[in-house]
Amino acid sequence: MSDVTILTSSGLSVGYRNQKAIVKEVAKDLNLSLKRGELVCLIGPNGSGKSTLIRTLTGIQPPLCGDILLCDRKIGEFSPDEKAKTLSVVLTSQVQAGYLTAFDIVALGRFPYTNWAGKLTDSDKKIVISALASVGAGELEGRFIHEMSDGERQKVMIARALAQEPELMVLDEPTAFLDLPHKIETMRILKNVAQKTHKSILLSIHDLNLAIRCADQLWIINRKGNMITGTPEDLVLSGIFGSAFEIDGVNFDPIRGEFTIPVEKKGTFALSAPESVERIWTLYALERIGFLPTDGAAADISVTVRKDGKGPRWHCTHPNGDHECGSIHELIECISARHKGGDDH
Amino acid sequence: MKLDGTEKGDSMRRFVLALPLIAGILIFVFLLDLMLGSVNIPPDALLTILTGGTVKETWMNIFWDWRVPKAITAVLVGGALALSGLLMQTYFRNPLADPYILGISSGASLGVAIIMMSAGICGAGAIFASIGLLGDMSISVAAVLGAFAVLLIILLISAKIQSNITILILGIMVSYISGALVTILLQFTDETSMHTYSLWTFGSFSGVTWGQIPMMAVPLIIGFILTFCLVKPLNALLLGEQYAESMGMNYNRVRIVIISTTALLAGVVTAFCGPIGFLGIAIPHFCRAFFVTADHRVLVPGCILVGGIIALITDIISHVPGTDIVLPLNAITALFGAPVVIWVILRGTKFGRGVTT
Repeated sequence: MSDVTILTSSGLSVGYRNQKAIVKEVAKDLNLSLKRGELVCLIGPNGSGKSTLIRTLTGIQPPLCGDILLCDRKIGEFSPDEKAKTLSVVLTSQVQAGYLTAFDIVALGRFPYTNWAGKLTDSDKKIVISALASVGAGELEGRFIHEMSDGERQKVMIARALAQEPELMVLDEPTAFLDLPHKIETMRILKNVAQKTHKSILLSIHDLNLAIRCADQLWIINRKGNMITGTPEDLVLSGIFGSAFEIDGVNFDPIRGEFTIPVEKKGTFALSAPESVERIWTLYALERIGFLPTDGAAADISVTVRKDGKGPRWHCTHPNGDHECGSIHELIECISARHKGGDDH
Repeated sequence: MKLDGTEKGDSMRRFVLALPLIAGILIFVFLLDLMLGSVNIPPDALLTILTGGTVKETWMNIFWDWRVPKAITAVLVGGALALSGLLMQTYFRNPLADPYILGISSGASLGVAIIMMSAGICGAGAIFASIGLLGDMSISVAAVLGAFAVLLIILLISAKIQSNITILILGIMVSYISGALVTILLQFTDETSMHTYSLWTFGSFSGVTWGQIPMMAVPLIIGFILTFCLVKPLNALLLGEQYAESMGMNYNRVRIVIISTTALLAGVVTAFCGPIGFLGIAIPHFCRAFFVTADHRVLVPGCILVGGIIALITDIISHVPGTDIVLPLNAITALFGAPVVIWVILRGTKFGRGVTT
């Protein structure tokens, strides 16, 4: 990361203008700044105006008021060609092109640099190959885009944006169609690109956990259209992150860094176990079935995890008796059965 | 040389390798079209004529006055229809788009119907017949006027409306309106005019005289050149208009050029040869499957050459060599062309590729 600022906005309002009279303001007073080599995740609840902001920042839609500076120049002053050399995009819409290989698609990223016929020079070809390589899609080069999986296709589209050699890459929900491992892989690729090639990357994303783990900076739009920016960890610690997303019954757990699924409270437990993976997952399992951790003798049940040569054993002490379990599944079954029995008395 | 795309490689290089073969086939079919017809001219006589010698006078007349202009027309028209179909399929990103989707041929049909019916009603047919070249041209002029009236409407609308799906629907609506007007006109017309009109709708390469060839060839070649200039934006449009714009393409300008070029090609073809169907929709698919690419740097020259070849073959078949029978061209293009295209596309599915744009 360096100190060169690629994108800034001051007093920016985004929204829609209808026949010049009716104005629907989606977000206002946006003062944003994005440095070279920085990966920024734009997050916000549905309908908070993420897409509108992305469209405005990329110059597709004019701002209601305020300025956007891309490399210290107003975005409206760029010629289409200059803008294409400074800013590239990856859109949400899936590309439905047949008979085009990954190479062909990525080569289209050279559009602003090639002649009238789009002829690739040797250096263009090198850039295309290296763009494919840097997203880990080198082996896809000769494959047709309509024969690829969603994850492979997304890699190719990122490579295309990279081959455009921009200062800033803007991605609108690049992880939307992907399963979790591919989401993580895509974020890893983007992080890698930002660090290795010193491109700035702005992306909107719904996956909050991923955003916290990957972003250098978070831009959060809350439901009122206000923007909060900062380092993910700071935003979590100050509670801003949680309050922007919490809705009735869904709470953000700042320790685990994720949203918890509320369960009906059944009782309390005391856990004694050495620091280990088994301890953490036993904790999760007990919370999942509605038990809250507590200290000492007041607990309804107490669980001890022991590890010996044959693997972990769970020992559960309940008012009605003791039980020895070989897996978390057994432990849960035993607690549910006993506890229900306990309630009946 | 492998053309089926099972090997990884540059589609452009593969095309350049296949180019002599395709050009050879084009020349062969062109010569075949000159020889075959109601009167077959044997190869040695053809050679004599081409080297400046003289053969039977009837052969000379048939050759110079009929066969050569007909073959030239077929080559140009085949290429023009294939190109305008390609332009529309890429612009609308729809595999079912054809050159007439904007309503160009319907406009032309309306123009022709008006001229023919008014001639029939006013008894003006005799007048048209007597004024020579202008008489021959009246159908073409009417078709051009009709086609460009529709183009004007589409351009005016597209200046206001960005969405190409809206333009697509408007084009189809314009087709329906002019189709309805033609039907009403047919209701009030005599049988001769009706017959002339339906003959025109069958399509034919034979109606173009030497005098008309420059008038047809010049605008078509301009259309070819314009399409060559469009290869780069057309490739960008494969990713959709938003991506194309983000790469620095001026969408509004490109769109107007695409629509105008299509109208020029399809309008001129309709004016001189009638509304020839099928070639425009099928040849771009055939070329994509055959050259295994969607790269317009390959497809544009490919469509011109393959379009010419297929148009010549359909012309030969429609004139049923050795007989006086002339079958409607539109029937032949579909009857013989469709199985070929089906074969190419199904063969493609072996590699997991179907019809795609």
